[in-house]
Amino acid sequence: MKYMLSFTVNGAPADVAVGPTETLLDVLRDRLGFTGAKRGCETGDCGACTVLVDGRSVRSCITLALTVQGKAVTTVEGLARDGKPHPLQQAFHDHGASQCGFCTPGMIVSLAELLEKNPEPCRDDARAAIAGNLCRCTGYVKIIDAAMAAARSPHKKGGPA
Amino acid sequence: MAESVIGKRIPKVDSREKVTGQAVYAGDMRMPGMYYGKVVRCWEHAHAKVKKLDFSAALKVPGVVKIIGPDDVTKKPYNTTVMKLLVPEIFGEVFGEIADLNIFNRVVKHQGDAICGVIARTEEAAERAAAKIKVTYEPLPVYMTVEASKAEGKKKNGYLFTPLKPGNLAFDLPESFFPGKRYGWNDKDGKTAEQLFSKCDYIIEDTFYVPKQKQCQMENHSYVAHYDERNRLNIWTSTQMPKPVQVLIAELFELPLTRVRLTQTTVGGGFGVRLGMIGEPHACAMAMAVPGHPVRMEFLREEDWVASETRYPGHIWLKMGFKKDGTPVAVDAMYSARKGGYYTHGSGPPFCAAAFLHGMYKWQALGMQTEGYFTNEVPTGAYRGYGNPQITFAAEQMITKMCNELGLDEIEWRKKWHKSIGDETWLKGVTFASDGLNDCLDVAAKEFGWYEKKKKYAKQTGVKRRGIGLAVMQHTSGAFPMLLEHSVCTAKLNEDCTVELIQQISDLGTGGHTVITQMAAETLGFPMEDIHLKSGDSDMCGFDIGAHASRTIYCAGPATIEACESVKKQLLERAAQLLEANVADLEMKDKIISVKGNPQKSISAVKIAKEGVYNYIDAATGKTIGIPGQIQGYSSFFAKHCSPPYGACMSEVEVDIETGEVKVLNLVNGHDIGKAIHPPSVEGQLEGGAQQGLGFVLTEEYAYDSKGRVLNNDFTDYKMLGPSDMPKAKIILVETAPDPIGPMGVKSCGESALMGPIGSVANAVYDAIGIQIKEAPITPEKVLKAIKEQGLRK
Repeated sequence: MKYMLSFTVNGAPADVAVGPTETLLDVLRDRLGFTGAKRGCETGDCGACTVLVDGRSVRSCITLALTVQGKAVTTVEGLARDGKPHPLQQAFHDHGASQCGFCTPGMIVSLAELLEKNPEPCRDDARAAIAGNLCRCTGYVKIIDAAMAAARSPHKKGGPA
Repeated sequence: MAESVIGKRIPKVDSREKVTGQAVYAGDMRMPGMYYGKVVRCWEHAHAKVKKLDFSAALKVPGVVKIIGPDDVTKKPYNTTVMKLLVPEIFGEVFGEIADLNIFNRVVKHQGDAICGVIARTEEAAERAAAKIKVTYEPLPVYMTVEASKAEGKKKNGYLFTPLKPGNLAFDLPESFFPGKRYGWNDKDGKTAEQLFSKCDYIIEDTFYVPKQKQCQMENHSYVAHYDERNRLNIWTSTQMPKPVQVLIAELFELPLTRVRLTQTTVGGGFGVRLGMIGEPHACAMAMAVPGHPVRMEFLREEDWVASETRYPGHIWLKMGFKKDGTPVAVDAMYSARKGGYYTHGSGPPFCAAAFLHGMYKWQALGMQTEGYFTNEVPTGAYRGYGNPQITFAAEQMITKMCNELGLDEIEWRKKWHKSIGDETWLKGVTFASDGLNDCLDVAAKEFGWYEKKKKYAKQTGVKRRGIGLAVMQHTSGAFPMLLEHSVCTAKLNEDCTVELIQQISDLGTGGHTVITQMAAETLGFPMEDIHLKSGDSDMCGFDIGAHASRTIYCAGPATIEACESVKKQLLERAAQLLEANVADLEMKDKIISVKGNPQKSISAVKIAKEGVYNYIDAATGKTIGIPGQIQGYSSFFAKHCSPPYGACMSEVEVDIETGEVKVLNLVNGHDIGKAIHPPSVEGQLEGGAQQGLGFVLTEEYAYDSKGRVLNNDFTDYKMLGPSDMPKAKIILVETAPDPIGPMGVKSCGESALMGPIGSVANAVYDAIGIQIKEAPITPEKVLKAIKEQGLRK
């Protein structure tokens, strides 16, 4: 039995027939082609699949797709504004915060939520924001550096960088 | 000339696509007509015979295309490692390389062994069908320790993992090549380490345990394989070793090399796990069963734990003898390791543990034995450090203990007795060409406040006790002369005087693509944006061994430099002809070639490049305009050294003597990089390596139930450190000892990052509570047990 799921992804409406056990991650990746959200563990432990649902970060691998009915989903592909990268994306680029890059989308999405909610985060705030995101390459140092740099940007809440 | 990019904190060339989610990993690929493959693994047993295999229910699942089992694939056994391509045949024999793996198995030798494969039109159908395959097993006894495996192997008609390895001994050092089955050297009178202990004033002897650690690369192993209309087998994979894996696949499926095309996708972390084949044989076997259809096969995270290789665990026994002034005399050692169910990488890590003991200090004699016994565990293989983390954990604790007991300053002792320029490195016959260890120790001690803290924490009381620890290490830059270190680069000069580098560079997230581009830009004097590295496609790239042994910049960088030097030379030669000048008198700056001291006499490199391609005939003269021929530079480079980098790491810990918890407060790691071409990448290696090193020493190890099944095959129960767990880590890049052989002075940094944190944290715990915890990881349980048994320092 499939149900019609109507929601928006990165501002554009999407209608997909999904089964009751399908995850948001599978719908985003396999049905809609948003492969920026990564499949790292499928148990909600690694955070590589993190997306925003109505502005709140969720692990899409353990979120049933039908629970986002009528909601707004934002993936890493949807953070840029007016063709310019989100300040976090720019800061990750500038600070070498992305190594293998597999955790990067989830890290950026988690931190984007932080910057929306807390305009002046400290390093510990950033650490807490990514407490559910694992990385095996960076030791998290440059990720926190990038988060701090983005927080200093006048456009930290997104919009033109 | 464009401003030098060497040593600059510029963005990486491949990070735009990673931060925007556009980078394509194999699991992100979608192709027309694509099917999905799923490997059915044995989850119930670590050792069993397959009695019956029933596909009937699974074949009825809608969407299933085909199910293939042991009888549907090649029976040719294989070895996952690329070792046979890296060493001359004689070394393969010395190290007892065998092929003992099968794509699908009738005997399960560890949990996770592959039984069969399902190919379906959707991923969901493949998973549903896999769940409906009925496998009837006959369980067999499990052998999970060296002792158990050895005892069984000794029995008459005892169980053997493979008839090719009597006694279940997967590997030891053969007497024919290694006298006394030891790697090392005797003193000037020919006396062995064992014979020299009688001359020592102070002898210590101890046994340490090192854990089975998982690489935990964030990208699960994913593949797309496609047997296409031209009868070519295409495979997209994030292997670290594209060229050798292409060769192994061709051999396994008995195809001419040219009929296998391997494309390396974005690599979501490697750390050694991808140093050979993992799921490639299974993905290719499934693709060959459905010609014309690409098959995508992705591991689940729990499969990674049971079906891809791990660090080599085991016990390390060390006996060290010194004169009373601390002069190191003799060291004798034995690494007795658990191999897992198959031979793959059997010899490498234990041999290298001995090698890195060999490379560190100036003993009068040294001998180390290594052995690996088969066990019913997922096979061990390559993991960042390749034996060095293991030996460093043990040996550096011994050195610190010796210094404490003889009343010596452990920094000064290490300065005095580490090997230096002219001394033999980890490999016989290769000597150190540079040595930055003393500077690493000095800058780390200053930054850390070593002596102040030593004084401050001398008398710790109370529940929470602080301590500091030091460890030093040496590693390698590539593995010459033991292994082949060959890299090929073609630099193609375009008609607009930009360059494409065609070179297989495995960037596992290490910054390799960026550094190679910087080296090309520097050599040519062109801006970074004028240079693009094309990598990944075996049809396009020349030979390259791949990413192993911290080799990429050191061994492949020179190929890039040579190819670009050739381009520059050809430009200058054409300019000399056109300007009627000598090549030696010319210089190139901002793509203008001029006679030195006479800038008016000049020609544009862009013009030369363009005329080389568009070599038109001048209608008036009937002659061609400019010099014909598109310029290309080429290098086929063989590294001839391995310039080991040094490093010194200091850690500060707080041990709670009531809970046993060890908290790392602070870590300073000074690394002898020679020259940091791209400092953020070097720092990233060392910062990230600290996370893995701290995991080794504090939290990470496989746990099993009584049947040999893994209990912690996810990130909930296998604890690697998260953002809130990491201490403050200060990385210092020491550039005072540029290597005279390394390109632009570089030494490696890829694997070096783990050893210092491992040894220094162990020593800091010892400093805090006065007890050495000899088993890694140092868990609260082990700390409490040790305190209970040995009592705290008075």
